[in-house]
Amino acid sequence: MNAIMRGLKATYNFFAGDAILLVAVAIAFLLAFALERANMPNALIAVLFVACIVGGLVTTLARELHGRPRQR
Amino acid sequence: MTAQLWAVFVAAFLASAVEFVEAFTIVLVVGVTINWRSALAGALAATGALAVIVAIFGTALVRFVPIDALRIVVGVLLVLFGLKWLKKAILRYAGLKAMHDEEAIYEEQIAEMRARGEHHQKRVDPFGVATSFKSVLLEGLEVAFIVITFGLQATVSAQGRGIAVAALGALGALLLVIVAGALARAPLQRVPENALKFTVGVMLTTFGTFWGGEGLGIEWWHDDIFLLVLVAFYLAVSLALIAWLRPYAPTQVAPTLEELDNPITSEVAE
Repeated sequence: MNAIMRGLKATYNFFAGDAILLVAVAIAFLLAFALERANMPNALIAVLFVACIVGGLVTTLARELHGRPRQR
Repeated sequence: MTAQLWAVFVAAFLASAVEFVEAFTIVLVVGVTINWRSALAGALAATGALAVIVAIFGTALVRFVPIDALRIVVGVLLVLFGLKWLKKAILRYAGLKAMHDEEAIYEEQIAEMRARGEHHQKRVDPFGVATSFKSVLLEGLEVAFIVITFGLQATVSAQGRGIAVAALGALGALLLVIVAGALARAPLQRVPENALKFTVGVMLTTFGTFWGGEGLGIEWWHDDIFLLVLVAFYLAVSLALIAWLRPYAPTQVAPTLEELDNPITSEVAE
């Protein structure tokens, strides 16, 4: 069991290493897929898709700031 | 060669250069503390293993996975790799994360090897071979995936030479690092590692978004030309994020972008 968990953790660290990024990318792709299936306008899907990816990056960086005092 | 294949070549070259510089430091440690035969044997074996991984996975994926599914998988992987690299590079530029210091890693590894009782010897040493093999394989694995994913997509959209072009980019970086390392006989500190990571992060995220979106059915405005819009957008967002984060950095480690990538001018300025 330990070896399996270690393997899973190593795989997760290799491909993502960051839960927020992983969730954001998953949401981006799943949401775009669902909207495409629902025949929503192409431009809207594209904007939401990119927004989710950027949102993931912004959120994970904001989390890095948590607990750091502002210097100046 | 098309613009897309050039982009694949450049991205694979830059990503590989970053990883091979890190692997080179460990190979150098083994070479200096044990012997060069062990260091090179391990490095060559790992390079061979990486080539086999690229060949097997690359061929299998092209043959057995439908194009749209392949685009989505490639897109997810590239966006994940890209955001991971971009996050690290942004934190380093903002001064919230220490810059990668090859010299410090080199000294630390040498001390560790000596503490283990490793010393210079003439015959091939299994520990030295294993250490060198492991470092090159681990650092190279991410490059192998970038070569496979980038190459696969370019293979699909640019008449079947994508993997070869991406592999050539990686090979070029390997040769450059070996030559530079052989000339310097020291850890490669002058390489602007963070700038490379930042550039590759933007490129991987851009191509991952574009190809992943195509796989999902998104029709990008003006097709391939939209890649330029995405690059500009991700670049602008990343620079804005650096500017946003910089005030939170400890004051002594928040240099400018120019200072970070040009240690000579930064020393003169000081």
